[in-house]
Amino acid sequence: MPRVRKIFKQREFRTFLFLVLLFMVVGFINSDYLSLQNIDRSLKSSLLYIVLAVGMTFVLLTGNLDISVGGTLGLSAAVCGTILRDGGNIFLAVITAILIGAIIGLINGFGVIKLKISSFIMTLAILSITRVVQVIYTDGKWVENIPANFKELSNIDIFGINLLSFIVIVGVIFVQLYLSRSSKGRYYNAIGDNAGGAISLGIPVNRYIAYSFVISGICASLAGLIFVSQIGFVSTNAGAGIELTVIAACVLGGVSLIGGIGTVVGAGLGAIILTSINSALVFMKVPAFWNDTISGSLLIIIVVIDALLAFHANKKAKKLRLNARVL
Amino acid sequence: MKAPRNLVRLENIRKAFNRNIVLEGVSLELNESEVIAIIGGNGAGKSTLMKILTGIYKADEGVVEIAGEKADHLNPSSAHERGIYLVPQEPLLFPNMTVEQNLTLGFSKDKNEVRGESAKLIKELGWNLDLNRLAVTLSIAEQQQLEIIKGLLRKSKVLILDEPTSTLTFSETESLFKVIKQLKNAGVGIFYITHRLNEVFQISTHAVILRDGKVTLKGKIEEFTKDMLIQGLLPVGNENHYQNQFKRRRSTHEGEEPILKVENIVGDGFKNISFEVYKGEVVGLAGLVGAGRTEIAEAIYGIHPIESGKVYLDGKDITKLSINETVDSGLAYIPEDRFLNGIFSITSVRNNITAQLIKRHGFFTKKKLEEQVADQYIDRLRIKVNSREDEIKSLSGGNQQKAVIARALSMNPKLIIMDEPTRGIDAAARGDIYSILTELKSQGFSILLISSDLEEIERISDRIYAVYQGTCDVCLNVDQINAVNVMKAAFGTFKGSDMTHA
Amino acid sequence: MLNKIPKWNLTLFVLIIAEMIVFGMINPRFWNVTILLNSFNDFIAISIIGFFVTLVVITGGIDISGVSIIGLTSVVTGLLSQVVGINIWGSILCAILIGGLCGLLNGVLIAYGRVQAMVITLGGMLLYSGIAIVLVGLSGVSTYEGISGFPEDFSSIANGEVMGIPHSVILFIIMFLIAYILLHRTKYGRYIYLTGINQNTADYSGINTKRIIASSYVLSGLSAGIAGVVLTSYLGSARADYGSEYLMPILTVVVLGGTLITGGKGGVVGTALASILLGFMQIGLQMAGVSTQYIGLATGVLLIVSVAFLGINPEFRLNMKRILTQKQHIGG
Repeated sequence: MPRVRKIFKQREFRTFLFLVLLFMVVGFINSDYLSLQNIDRSLKSSLLYIVLAVGMTFVLLTGNLDISVGGTLGLSAAVCGTILRDGGNIFLAVITAILIGAIIGLINGFGVIKLKISSFIMTLAILSITRVVQVIYTDGKWVENIPANFKELSNIDIFGINLLSFIVIVGVIFVQLYLSRSSKGRYYNAIGDNAGGAISLGIPVNRYIAYSFVISGICASLAGLIFVSQIGFVSTNAGAGIELTVIAACVLGGVSLIGGIGTVVGAGLGAIILTSINSALVFMKVPAFWNDTISGSLLIIIVVIDALLAFHANKKAKKLRLNARVL
Repeated sequence: MKAPRNLVRLENIRKAFNRNIVLEGVSLELNESEVIAIIGGNGAGKSTLMKILTGIYKADEGVVEIAGEKADHLNPSSAHERGIYLVPQEPLLFPNMTVEQNLTLGFSKDKNEVRGESAKLIKELGWNLDLNRLAVTLSIAEQQQLEIIKGLLRKSKVLILDEPTSTLTFSETESLFKVIKQLKNAGVGIFYITHRLNEVFQISTHAVILRDGKVTLKGKIEEFTKDMLIQGLLPVGNENHYQNQFKRRRSTHEGEEPILKVENIVGDGFKNISFEVYKGEVVGLAGLVGAGRTEIAEAIYGIHPIESGKVYLDGKDITKLSINETVDSGLAYIPEDRFLNGIFSITSVRNNITAQLIKRHGFFTKKKLEEQVADQYIDRLRIKVNSREDEIKSLSGGNQQKAVIARALSMNPKLIIMDEPTRGIDAAARGDIYSILTELKSQGFSILLISSDLEEIERISDRIYAVYQGTCDVCLNVDQINAVNVMKAAFGTFKGSDMTHA
Repeated sequence: MLNKIPKWNLTLFVLIIAEMIVFGMINPRFWNVTILLNSFNDFIAISIIGFFVTLVVITGGIDISGVSIIGLTSVVTGLLSQVVGINIWGSILCAILIGGLCGLLNGVLIAYGRVQAMVITLGGMLLYSGIAIVLVGLSGVSTYEGISGFPEDFSSIANGEVMGIPHSVILFIIMFLIAYILLHRTKYGRYIYLTGINQNTADYSGINTKRIIASSYVLSGLSAGIAGVVLTSYLGSARADYGSEYLMPILTVVVLGGTLITGGKGGVVGTALASILLGFMQIGLQMAGVSTQYIGLATGVLLIVSVAFLGINPEFRLNMKRILTQKQHIGG
């Protein structure tokens, strides 16, 4: 019983409730929204964001930011698409894409750790560089004519369930278990929660920060692969602006931008919520142009409430501490 | 009867930082089932000694033996492995993780084992610690309990408790003492760092007094009285560090209105504080670190709210005024932490000095005026600097402090509250600051001096109030000021019963 | 005298001269005063916002919502003047004030709500562009075409010239002067620096740091509003998506200009020089036949290099030494 109560108290549960609420409200207005077909479709279109959010969570947990994921996504997608289009082996395409993500992650990590550049600036700069590299690589043209067999990969259904969705969800669960149960997995939270404490415990802080960027980069390139498969072609600005949506998704899902708080499950839920708002608007016959306003307001409201709550908790704790000393 | 096993042996430890000798010739032994209270003023070397024992520092000279074996190359993890654990004064926790996660982080043992053992320990200790609570929701006492359990889980034979009761309530302290007794019976050796002499007599088996890096008193607790302990804290002989330039003002202040009148104020960290400061005198607020003096000063200055009571500056009620208004009324405050709150580190000395007075210059800044003022103060306070445009960061601590004082003076205050003005400043610069204080006094300024350096307070103040654990009951008049009384007042043993050990 | 000019600004100035020489040698058409002056049109919006984001960054914060405020003010200008029918100058004023309001929201939440500047301005970025899109959507105007049909007067704001000098240059100088005087000659500017250097000390000195911080965001918002109006005038139509590609360049000119991202140090002179440096580089590269995407590359690399070199000067050099000589770091 206490276990169940613990689950209820988690931020992630509240996020989940929000999602359920969203579906119920929209479903009430337009019952088609609740159809299995639509839920399946919603899930499929949010896979990209879920994968990105998982990678971003690693970075956010340690107290950093990775704004370069959109560029990494675009570049990996472009390279993968090009290899496939030119008749290359699928494995080659996939491995290359992942390598690209890993390398970009390493570069980000290097800049943040060794050059001591704030992650915001470093990843922002890398973003613009990767965008340019992508354009140069593709000669400014779209990558099209990607072999159908790769595009089909994202459509495979097993027992009626989309295979890709299944893999992603299982993946999220495994990552969640790693981060919350395994001792090394806890390091990410520890670093963002109390970097000094982590150092004094002997945790190799810099190494794990580097890992977080590499993971984020790889997730971005995985998202790029999904992009290629689901969308079928790569435009020159594929992935543009996506990083902000991903960060918003993470924050919605309870991941703190300061670090130390949050789970990939929450981030994933946040990603689903954001993509669902999009389609929800359609189903509610609300013009799509409300999307950004709603997302932006949501983000601000949640973050402000969070900050105020944290501030009051801190104030209370400090008061207690001071008054405990008085005779 | 078997002799208790030796756990830790420190012999002739010497440690210096740059040219500052922090520990000299310190020898100490801890055996099983012993609780050694380590007492000393600020800067006495207590925490440095413990850091050497836990592998954070390395002694320059001397021998460190743990359980009979030499420990030359200690680091925090090997110290842990050899059974030494420091429970810090400020718990080092991960606020957003659960108690259980905090316990298992960085600990190589199997998680289930750890969980089982912790649950057992908590039960044995009779505590009420829920493994699933987030660390940030724990009270300070509970956070401390967490730290202690961390130490016990690692099967530590030596526990170092650094000021453990400074934030505990009475009942929590009792509960802690019960634990200490249990640990004692189980053979654990404990170093107990504290200011509270009552506690020393309650739970320790031995006492060690550190003063200026040397051991001045050492032995079984039965051999001492409170007074003897205080004696051990006092300076040896009659060292006259400072010239007798400080002539105490002997005045009865009859018919005089005080410049500062604090009436029964209550706030976070203090209660029922009352005192007065008259024109042209230096009043010292003595006390130990954590006694609440900074909280009082900051409340008077307007940073924190005063819940009840009143403060009058030259007759004007300044209790509820903002910082800005308080400054305009004639009060200046020189903060305790120079680096954190006192200076604007990456800008010029001039900007530091003029930071407050520019508000009186109108919309546009008047550079020429600023330069004049800065030059005046650099001259008057003898601030050693190549140019007023030098970055203040490059100045020595003493000169930085002078710049902060200059800034305070630039607003023509009636009373200046100085919070630890000579902390971290070398001896020569200190003398300089004391001269400045004397000059200010003779010019009619009033100074409220907060200092944990009891010698300093004793030498400079005309009158001394002592704050002990948030209350201020003691006022030492001119005739009562001497080293012993000041020490007693700071340690809360001045009035009344000079208890011998319980 | 030379000592008084900060080293970094001098370096930027030298770099500008250097690039002018280099680009001119590659394509002598570069050495055309008219062309150089007209190039200001391309980066005037970036510079205007850059000047006041510099103020925000000096206080220790950051404002990335300006790029969206551009779109919002553009749409408001268009809607008020063309659809609602309000006088063009009134519309412009309203639009700029709305920019200030957005900044106010940012500022209040950041200074008083104690939320990280990054997050709030990120949310703001989404929100303000969202509002712009909603306004366009609600008004029934086509998003692709934007709102046009502005009066001559309006388009001459950005496109006119005075004695051969394009308005954008004059605007650049005016905004620069305003920012410069505010920052370096007034009490307010001094407070901006002090707040950024050490907010605690500033509080202890009686400075109302919260008000200073909040107001810096208002200024940033107003500047974005002005930039939005100028851009609309220059391009002749009001659209919601103006400005989205300006985020990188704005941050680059601030940081490249020598302002520390951590606050407390920097200035608008550097921002101005960096704008010109970047702006000329863009034209120069175009004239040298380099395709425009490489310019983005150069900007990104420049950003990294300048931050690494500037922001943590002594530490960076120490780290570089360590990396190069691979010394073991002996912990204390």
